[in-house]
Amino acid sequence: MQNKLSFHQTSVSLEIIGLPDYSNNENKDQISIISQWKLTIIDKPLIEGKIEHLGPIMNAFYIYSDLLIKNKIPSYESKLIDIKAENLHIHNIVLKSSKPNVKPLILKIGNSLLSDTINCFDQLIESPKVRIKKPDLSSNIPKKFRYGLNKKVKFINFFIPPFFAICSLILFSSYFIYLYNPFENIEKKELINPE
Amino acid sequence: MRKSYVNNNIKVNEFDALIKITVEMSRYLYPYIREILKSKEDIEENSVIWRDFNKRFIELIRERFNVDSMRVKKLLNQAENDAFIIKSLLTLSLCISNQGYQKLKNFLFDL
Repeated sequence: MQNKLSFHQTSVSLEIIGLPDYSNNENKDQISIISQWKLTIIDKPLIEGKIEHLGPIMNAFYIYSDLLIKNKIPSYESKLIDIKAENLHIHNIVLKSSKPNVKPLILKIGNSLLSDTINCFDQLIESPKVRIKKPDLSSNIPKKFRYGLNKKVKFINFFIPPFFAICSLILFSSYFIYLYNPFENIEKKELINPE
Repeated sequence: MRKSYVNNNIKVNEFDALIKITVEMSRYLYPYIREILKSKEDIEENSVIWRDFNKRFIELIRERFNVDSMRVKKLLNQAENDAFIIKSLLTLSLCISNQGYQKLKNFLFDL
């Protein structure tokens, strides 16, 4: 008998079917060996597949949403799934079947369904009852920011005032040099021609 | 950008606390955030929610931000602020999980 777990978020639900790994002394209601999964989006065709498809599809959604938020070109392409933005609100998803002679499934989802889907995946990743490879979120932080925002702000504050002071000194001094140059020339001429 | 003449630096623990509050609030307000995003998707059928939200957003910006700043002026321009508002709402809607704190922090650092 297989275990079944469901994760819901408003218009999207994700169903995971599988078995516990008895060799690891796991509980009966645990799922470690996923045999099937189903993603149901209201008013859209059912998406289902094997475990080897779930990981790449989840990754595609995470990478695409990341690109979308970070103002980069929102487009993701792989052997299994393509996601592209039609405009600011609509996203085109092309799911390619691994079986031959099966046409790809094309879906159009809005921002609301995109966030529902990603929240379903988040629930799956955080569920203690399912063992699945988790994406490493912390590695996404750029190294230069890992020391904290405060240090960055302090560093800028430390350098900006002297920088402006030096700039203003250069500007003022160059302005005075410009003003005094003609007088010096007149004095020199007077010295040469004392008449 | 704010209507304040005090320029205090935010401390790391204050920054973390603000992120935690934001994540908790977005978790609580997720149904509303989702409805606002949805109303913009089919604006011809359901434009009331988006218009109300945009109106209130602009009111709050005028009340609390320095409207003489160019960046604030861009936020007040209804033709230009759509992308900013949608991306902000989408960011909040993606940070409602238990790992939402870490996610939001990563998004902010990458801005």
